[in-house]
Amino acid sequence: MKIGMMSFAHMHAYTYAKLLNQRTDVELVAIWDDDQQRGLAASKTFRSLFYGDVAEFLALDLEAVVICSENSKHHDLVIQAAKAGKHILCEKPIATEVQDAKEMIEVCERNQVILQIAFPVRFAPSIRRARAVIQSGDLGDILAVKATNHGQMPGGWFVNKSLSGGGAATDHIVHVMDIIRWVLQTEVKDVYAELDTRFYDIDVEDCGMVSLALESGAIATIDPSWSRPKTFPMWGDVTLEFVGTKGTLAVDAYKQSSKYYNDSEGKVQLIPWGDDMDEGLIYDFVRCVQTKGMPSITGEDGLRTLEVVKAAYQSHQDKQTVPVSRVMI
Amino acid sequence: MRAKLKSAVLGLGTMGRVHAEAWSHIEDAELVGVVDLDREKAQTVASQYNLQAFSDFSTLIEQSDVEVVDICLPTYLHKEYVAAAAKAGKHVICEKPLGLNVQEAHEMINLCEAQGVKLFVAQVVRFFPEYVQATEQVRRGKIGNAGVVRLTRGGSFPHGWNNWYADEDKSGRLILDSMIHDFDWLRWTFGDVQRVMTRQASYSDGKKDLDYALVTLRMLDGTIAHVEGTWAHTGFHTSYEITGDKGMLSYDSQEGVPLTMQLHSGDRQSEQSGVPVPESPLTESPYLRELKHFTDCIRTGNPPIVTADDALKAVEIAQAALASAASGKPVELSKMGGGVR
Repeated sequence: MKIGMMSFAHMHAYTYAKLLNQRTDVELVAIWDDDQQRGLAASKTFRSLFYGDVAEFLALDLEAVVICSENSKHHDLVIQAAKAGKHILCEKPIATEVQDAKEMIEVCERNQVILQIAFPVRFAPSIRRARAVIQSGDLGDILAVKATNHGQMPGGWFVNKSLSGGGAATDHIVHVMDIIRWVLQTEVKDVYAELDTRFYDIDVEDCGMVSLALESGAIATIDPSWSRPKTFPMWGDVTLEFVGTKGTLAVDAYKQSSKYYNDSEGKVQLIPWGDDMDEGLIYDFVRCVQTKGMPSITGEDGLRTLEVVKAAYQSHQDKQTVPVSRVMI
Repeated sequence: MRAKLKSAVLGLGTMGRVHAEAWSHIEDAELVGVVDLDREKAQTVASQYNLQAFSDFSTLIEQSDVEVVDICLPTYLHKEYVAAAAKAGKHVICEKPLGLNVQEAHEMINLCEAQGVKLFVAQVVRFFPEYVQATEQVRRGKIGNAGVVRLTRGGSFPHGWNNWYADEDKSGRLILDSMIHDFDWLRWTFGDVQRVMTRQASYSDGKKDLDYALVTLRMLDGTIAHVEGTWAHTGFHTSYEITGDKGMLSYDSQEGVPLTMQLHSGDRQSEQSGVPVPESPLTESPYLRELKHFTDCIRTGNPPIVTADDALKAVEIAQAALASAASGKPVELSKMGGGVR
């Protein structure tokens, strides 16, 4: 299977490219990037061809592309790739505007190509186990979810609003929001959010708290803050705690790690040894393209999580609870 | 030697018995009586500490020379007994929350002031060393400017006398009874609250009750706080995580345990039955520290670490959180209209 990669702006691109190269049945044929230096370097690292011209790149005989550009460029790249008939794995968040996401989904559908959104947390075995337990009913009805997706401040284009669409709320609501939807099979009814820039001198929010009422009647909060100090032993965390009528379940997707007291760097580090969730994501996408199946994570999953992000910004502005409006697709 | 401060405990539920035990360790004080409607219970506790049991409050006042009444009754009875003690000219220590609402708390404070007696409120988290340390570290600037604070408190649904905890009108349930500790600690550490937003989930199937709430607070200094209160878990636990632009301070009672005991059952078949029993022993329990401090304040006239007005403000935050839970909307503290600011 011939595959191409579009942009290495997002650091996940390097992991995805490495994983694609590990497969004997997949060939990473070409890399396009609007940053020539970055694209050329990546093409050397991953023994691939570099293209600086999108049309030329998309004219290649590729079955699928993986898009890891800055958030605000997802829309244009997805539309172009879809029109060229390529199946697509797009980094999260799906887009920076709801209307963009809607158009991306529609164009992909019209061109009969797969649009999958990169929510790798779904492939963490601890998260899958949590979902199985909850869907079996062992916890009874779920009353509440307390979730965090903390991180360190990523810097670079992530803090440039015109490229990222926003700060911590844009970056870190969608992962756990996707898991909540996926596990509970419900949508968000209304959102309240407190957002702020309290840690760094940057132009986007670096912390906040998102408080949700779900259609199922459950409540939830998501902490998307870039609040992990530089000395934090890992890049961040993904945790969810479910409260049910028959019991509670807490899951920490990166808890499978050993503690490393690193004298040379002067800090303590957690080194994960659990299954690689990015591998799960990439190989699921490859399988999906090979079998022409339905993607396990759809454009709609990307859209619904983006709508929650937008409602959070609206709530922050209004200082009020905001109902989530869902666009028809 | 100065005469000892004569105290009496009113109400011998869990907290009343904890307080009686603490009083027995205070050298400057003498527990002269305990009062409970349940005569047998009162008698048992009284004989344990070699003192007198009283079946009602008025007998205590008539027959003893008590100087401070330690009220460990269900919340809905606080106002009545604080008033009675104050009118009898006794100093008062009252369990938290001070009252069911700001109005009640206000009345109690005014009455004690008018009667010239001191009123202390047992916001005991201010005497838990892990929380005292956190406050000190924040004040010393160890985490820099605070960003996001996460607090957790709770365990299983409490079952008190006549199941009073389950009755919102008698206890204010989870938010007023338990989360008030974290509200008070937040105010102590970061100052006043600007607004609160509550999401609450309650459940009852006739056999059991569950109560769970996630409260988001914006402090006046801009700090964002998240308080998880739960009566939907098993086993009591607390935690905090305080992040700022210079660092992060965190504590989890489930991890910070210095001693764990596990006993063999002595039976091959039930080798699994050795349940771990964690302990975090201190030379002086937070309850002992608290009552010692109040004793000292009465004897010296020094102001307490936590004033009755602080306790009222904590009730105000809890009341705002309850109002938000009911409306599904954020509540601004300045619009609470408690008439006390």
